[in-house]
Amino acid sequence: MSNQKKRNFQIEAFKHRVVMDPKYADKTWKILEHAIHEIYNHNASGLSFEELYRNAYNMVLHKFGEKLYSGLVSTMTGHLKDIAQSVEAAQGGSFLEELNRKWNDHNKALQMIRDILMYMDRTYIPSTQKTPVHELGLNLWKENVIYSSQIRTRLLNTLLELLHSERTGEVIDRGILRNITKMLMDLGPSVYGQEFENHFLQVSAEFYRVESQKFIECCDCGDYLKKAERRLNEETERVSHYLDSRTEKKITNVVEKEMIENHMLRLIHMENSGLVHMLCDDKYEDLSRMYNLFRRVTDGLSKIREVMTSHMRESGKQLVTDPERLKDPVEYVQRLLDEKDKYDKIINLAFNNDKSFQNALNSSFEYFINLNPRSPEFISLFVDDKLRKGLKGVSEDDVEVTLDKVMMLFRYLQEKDVFEKYYKQHLAKRLLSGKTVSDDAERSLIVKLKTECGYQFTSKLEGMFTDMKTSQDTMQGFSACHPELNDGPTLTVQVLTTGSWPTQSSVTCNLPAEMSTLCEKFRSFYLGTRTGRRLSWQTNMGTADLKATFGKGQKHELNVSTYQMCVLMLFNNADRLSYKEIEQATEIPASDLKRCLQSLALVKGRNVLRKEPMSKDIGEDDAFFVNEKFSSKLYKVKIGTVVAQKESEPEKQETRQRVEEDRKPQIEAAIVRIMKSRKQLDHNNLIAEVTKQLQSRFLANPTEVKKRIESLIERDFLERDDSDRRLYRYLA
Amino acid sequence: MRKEDTVKLISAEGFEFVVDKEAAMVSQTIHNMLTSPGSFAERQHGEVTFPEISTTILEKICQYFYWHLQFASGKETEFPIEPELTLELMMAANYLHT
Repeated sequence: MSNQKKRNFQIEAFKHRVVMDPKYADKTWKILEHAIHEIYNHNASGLSFEELYRNAYNMVLHKFGEKLYSGLVSTMTGHLKDIAQSVEAAQGGSFLEELNRKWNDHNKALQMIRDILMYMDRTYIPSTQKTPVHELGLNLWKENVIYSSQIRTRLLNTLLELLHSERTGEVIDRGILRNITKMLMDLGPSVYGQEFENHFLQVSAEFYRVESQKFIECCDCGDYLKKAERRLNEETERVSHYLDSRTEKKITNVVEKEMIENHMLRLIHMENSGLVHMLCDDKYEDLSRMYNLFRRVTDGLSKIREVMTSHMRESGKQLVTDPERLKDPVEYVQRLLDEKDKYDKIINLAFNNDKSFQNALNSSFEYFINLNPRSPEFISLFVDDKLRKGLKGVSEDDVEVTLDKVMMLFRYLQEKDVFEKYYKQHLAKRLLSGKTVSDDAERSLIVKLKTECGYQFTSKLEGMFTDMKTSQDTMQGFSACHPELNDGPTLTVQVLTTGSWPTQSSVTCNLPAEMSTLCEKFRSFYLGTRTGRRLSWQTNMGTADLKATFGKGQKHELNVSTYQMCVLMLFNNADRLSYKEIEQATEIPASDLKRCLQSLALVKGRNVLRKEPMSKDIGEDDAFFVNEKFSSKLYKVKIGTVVAQKESEPEKQETRQRVEEDRKPQIEAAIVRIMKSRKQLDHNNLIAEVTKQLQSRFLANPTEVKKRIESLIERDFLERDDSDRRLYRYLA
Repeated sequence: MRKEDTVKLISAEGFEFVVDKEAAMVSQTIHNMLTSPGSFAERQHGEVTFPEISTTILEKICQYFYWHLQFASGKETEFPIEPELTLELMMAANYLHT
């Protein structure tokens, strides 16, 4: 213990001795000051770090920190003033180099000084809240060199000049620029901002304003965008090379604003090269560029979208309302699909698959497809065409693709029930005439419709398929039961469930005797195994194959409709029949009979009958003969009925009416469903709910909904509230 | 061991300790001394003289340097300090910023 005390004492005595030397502080400072001078003069190698450190340490320890600190400030200031002078004196291009070199020197010296004075940094400065040595050095540099009146503006101008000359295509020394900007950043972001960045942005804005004005006067939209894109890339590259990374956002903002935002509308609407032009000509690259550039500025994309939407709507509207197009439904739908493909491709390739653009596309299609009330019919006809013949020899995948596309159009339809109606008709024709190309494709489409619209939508369509299947089995059973029938004419019956198939008023005609006995046999066979059923013959939907021998012995197999068959069979027993006679014998409805005679007698190459007088139309007083001179290259001759593929005007009206009629129960069901769960609801909300519920099938007409509500009130499903007439109440 | 990797620490009495630079640089002061830009005499010669640190203390300090490295690499042992050295050792530590 005593030993330690002694040591303790010794040390204190040692301290005292130092403190007591009044000149100690001055002497020590002199040593340090000298050292600082030496450091600035690149002459530090002879100095002992330990000695300097120890001196600084002792000065701080003995409460001369203040003297040390202020001494440091004044010495450094002195040196920096010298530096400033030498920088100012630098001529022309060497100015930046000199500045940079001095800055490096200063930095190095500062580092060394800080190391020597580390103890002061550690203890004295925090306790007195002074600026640490390193920061002090930077501040002094800033005040004495950068803010020196001679240097300040010269530095800025030199920098801006260099940048400008690089923008105009000259090569500059990027290294020195990087060093200088880094120096400004080291002095603090605010110095960088004030001394350089703000001015830089201003000058850039001015530069690009002038340049964009020049370009827009003389370039088309595509070229302009290319230039703008290049400028943007240049600026980004510039930043990465020698500016602070935080400037990137700001400078690109400047370019975007000056070059894109200010000219946005003019660019989009530029004649012969603007957005519409690009869309028409499928300029994916330009469009993609436009998208990428406009995305950077506020409202840029929405502007593109607006113009694109209105263009799509306009061209779509032209397409669907063009009377030329309406003549060929298949072509019409194909055009729609092409249009859709085109824009899909544009959005995919150029617009980055942007969701908002896809939505715009969808809404535009929805808009103009529904402008034409015949769209559902045409789409169904298109499918009909594809499934009848268009898909032959096409691979399964392609079939899927085509069907998927059709489904896409279907999705846009508001009146999906109208489509269903037509689809049912067309499907029925296909199934009954055995024209469908691929069962798989048919079924696959049904599945798609089902996933899109639910079970209800397709249950009847599926029922049709089931009927076809059971009919096959029934026919097998029938022919097994009556083996004796193999010699005579063959009968194929398709038993169709009423309700699943498009209802046709069942107008029967008189079948030839051979046929009616056969039919009777089938009837008894069918009803024999099943009870409680009723069979009625739909002669208007059948077909027949006839073997015929003409005057010169030429034999042909004629493929005709049931009506035509009835007419032709009459000629087995007669050479000449008048229109009236035929009508009486067959009892085929007049319009159908006329049509059927027309196809038998007036179509060139298919005219198995001859008519007198020879005129273009069938008259009530005409007479018909077998055309003995009939000849054809083919053995099998198909005599089609003259059917309008597209519906005629009255038929259209009829279908329309049927659709309206079918909607009524659906609307009523929806109303009841809603009211049942809500118990009471006011008029507007009810209409809105109903519309929403039925949206997947059709767009409910508010007046129609209103009528249905009235009818439900009459039938005591609902009642009006006594106090509020607009409020409905559900009656259980 | 190469000469560049070591540094010679000299006590007030003139005793020389040759230690690894890595160990010596546990002291922030010595670290700055040996890494400061420009070349101070210490860096050139690889010698540091401490006229205010006695041999006993400097020896203890050198021991501490190595102990510290071991401790930092996960070997947790105790570092014995004789009570009579405590005060001087603390002052030296302050000086060397260890």
